[in-house]
Amino acid sequence: MDQDVQDRALPIANVGRIMKQILPPSAKISKEGKQLMQECVTEFISFVTGEASDKCHKENRKTVNGDDICWALSSLGFDNYAEAIGRYLHIYRQGEREKINHTKKYENPQNQTQINRAPPPPLLLSRVENPPPTNQSG
Amino acid sequence: MVDNVGGSSSNAENSGIREQDRLLPIANVGRIMKQILPPNAKISKESKETMQECVSEFISFVTSEASEKCRKERRKTVNGDDICWALGSLGFDDYAEPLRRYLQRYRELEVDRGNSPPKRE
Repeated sequence: MDQDVQDRALPIANVGRIMKQILPPSAKISKEGKQLMQECVTEFISFVTGEASDKCHKENRKTVNGDDICWALSSLGFDNYAEAIGRYLHIYRQGEREKINHTKKYENPQNQTQINRAPPPPLLLSRVENPPPTNQSG
Repeated sequence: MVDNVGGSSSNAENSGIREQDRLLPIANVGRIMKQILPPNAKISKESKETMQECVSEFISFVTSEASEKCRKERRKTVNGDDICWALGSLGFDDYAEPLRRYLQRYRELEVDRGNSPPKRE
């Protein structure tokens, strides 16, 4: 495969696996269906990243962070995504803070194995009719 | 664009799904993001992980809509047309049109290669 194409492509097996989790057990996905989704997702990433990148450029910042992705989603009309991702980000950052505090508390390397936190719960927006509003109090 | 996110049911209980099955590889996601950014820009780990979540959601969202169409039409195989239809139905019209053209080119190439085009069930 051409190097540029390879850089742009997401592994089709992974794309197919995520699709399969949504389908009923007896259902199948054609090769063209997976390839189409692969193209589509690449475009989606580029689209959102481009918007986040513009924001960073205007604000003279060099690093794109989670808030920029959230803002880009909202700006592009993916409002429910932005809300859910905002909540995800909040949980993610809480976990990161706990990890840092835990590391500071236990400098002993033997304790490092205990700090592997569980990842934030999956969003599953596609299975939620109306996601609850973001909790601002946290 | 996509304000009302539709409900659907999954055959996989999410608690039992391994992280690597639920998300696309972070290296690949990061590479695609990097191609869009100016050369001196950076991407934080949290933004890659956020995008990872987002992409999985997007795939699930579109697939569930395509799956629903197949179920109503009593078909077992989700094909490219179903994906295009789902995108249009969910408000991603800007995606649906270019992908229909992509699909047409893809099918022409398959015929040239001697592979039969996908069967309509």
